[in-house]
Amino acid sequence: MKRVLGLCLLGLALSCAGCIAAATIALPGPILLACGILGLIAAGGLTYSLIHLAVDVHAMTKTLRSEHPILDSVRCSALKPLTAALQECLDKTNKPLLEARREIQDLGLQLQLLRRRKSGIEAILNSIHDAVLVCDDQDRLILANPAAEKLLGFESEKAALKPLKDNLSDNSLADLIIRARSSKVRHVRHELSLNRSGSAAWYDCLLSTVLDDSGQVISVVAVLHDITREKEISQAKNDFVSHVSHELKTPLASINAYAEMLVDGEAQDEAAIRQFCEIIQGQAQRLNRLIEDILNISRIESGLMKVNRQNLSLALIIRDAVEMIQSYAQEKNITLTAPAPILCDQVYADRDMMMQVVVNLLSNAVKYTPAGGSVSVQFEMNDVDGTITVSVTDTGIGIPEQDMDKLFGKFFRVEANKNFAKGTGLGLNLVRQIVETVHNGRVFVRSKQGQGSTFGFVLPIASSKTALIA
Amino acid sequence: MADRKALVVDDEFHIVQVVAIKLKNNGFEVLTTDNGASAYTLAAQHKPDIIITDYQMPVLTGLELIEKLRSDQQTAAIPVIMLTARGFAIEDQQKQKLNIAACLSKPFSPREVLQTVEEVLKQTVHA
Repeated sequence: MKRVLGLCLLGLALSCAGCIAAATIALPGPILLACGILGLIAAGGLTYSLIHLAVDVHAMTKTLRSEHPILDSVRCSALKPLTAALQECLDKTNKPLLEARREIQDLGLQLQLLRRRKSGIEAILNSIHDAVLVCDDQDRLILANPAAEKLLGFESEKAALKPLKDNLSDNSLADLIIRARSSKVRHVRHELSLNRSGSAAWYDCLLSTVLDDSGQVISVVAVLHDITREKEISQAKNDFVSHVSHELKTPLASINAYAEMLVDGEAQDEAAIRQFCEIIQGQAQRLNRLIEDILNISRIESGLMKVNRQNLSLALIIRDAVEMIQSYAQEKNITLTAPAPILCDQVYADRDMMMQVVVNLLSNAVKYTPAGGSVSVQFEMNDVDGTITVSVTDTGIGIPEQDMDKLFGKFFRVEANKNFAKGTGLGLNLVRQIVETVHNGRVFVRSKQGQGSTFGFVLPIASSKTALIA
Repeated sequence: MADRKALVVDDEFHIVQVVAIKLKNNGFEVLTTDNGASAYTLAAQHKPDIIITDYQMPVLTGLELIEKLRSDQQTAAIPVIMLTARGFAIEDQQKQKLNIAACLSKPFSPREVLQTVEEVLKQTVHA
């Protein structure tokens, strides 16, 4: 036992010496790092030895106490300073080791946290529908999300750390980023037009500069939000206001001018006075019709239109509409024909609205058909799919192919036909709104320029039956 | 026989008529038409002292008509007054470039049209 203790003490002394040497000699650079590692290993070994030694000393002390109670106090008092020295040495070596272990644990946790945050930020960036890209202080791309890659047509990995202008086909964005970096303005907003899949798209481009502690720009963050739809809506609104104002001002101009002429006594005789009054009345009615059309379209679009649905006969509505338009057709020497209503096929619809649909289609057909032509109405019932089709065919001037899909748009007028007849471009839009939006039907058109057109609509047959009419 | 000749162009028949009556009642010989293309032909043939034209017209718009008039030596110097129902005014730059004498907004007053015509003609005589 004494020999073991002696060896232990020797080992301990050597370990302590090594440890103190490692702890006190300061060496530069990599040597210091190597020494540190060696020191840690030495400290580890030393701790291991010290723990074992302490256990052994404790056991020996216990044995001595029990085997030689007389010598016990003498021996114990001799060992006390050694035990204390050992404990002190143990505490000194354990402390840095524990601290190092704690630091390693902390670093591991921080690394884990950083990884989690990085993947979280990547997931957020990738989920953003807006294009996000970041450039460094030399205008080189350092980050871009998939939306930016798709919009600007590059791959982040290939484009990284290359000048932005090398990666973009359009320099406008790169110029804005460069300008933002030079100006050091914290945030700046621009509207930018970029080519997206061959068509121009509008973006709200928000540029933010990132500054370091000394106020130098270290990066520029660009976020591009697609505002094409908003632009289109805004443009459509402006166009609508412009069209409405033009359409309203035209009859109003006549009313105003002829009224002033009457006041100024510019009408030379009774006939002229009467003519001026009739013009004022006619233009006031035109103005009223126009306002009604605009309001009806607006009411239908906003769902505020009062719809009085009932089972009614389209055949009878066609008959009444033909009667209404007949005099206009005769004035223009146009033959207007419609099949006699034998079967009264029912649709569940608003009578006034359906009347307006048929009248609009008939008056359009007569309006765009030269004198001597013809307009006919066809009426077809399809029992298989439970629909009724009404079509109005004319021998008129027809419609150019490129305008076919715009015909039912608000205020659209065929440029080539403007000279042929006047119109507001609201009639067919109202037809579509009534048939499709209000009655879940479908409008259609077939036309060949110079050969005539067929406009029509399809509605579902009402659930109740067809009835014979007189 | 009237010694002053005016050409009135508008695709709205009632507008053409009211301006024409006002001018006729005040000593003008008036030519009328409903589109820019025939207006140019009439202007080249009859050399009116003044043209009053709408802005938005089929075939040739008011601006296109003026451009055509200005590019032809025979019609280049004819003063033009423009009537427009559009919500925007014609830009000053364009007005200057095409030498448009005056722009009047619809709804207009026939008195104001006559007064503007007289003023423009007076300026033209003095120029």
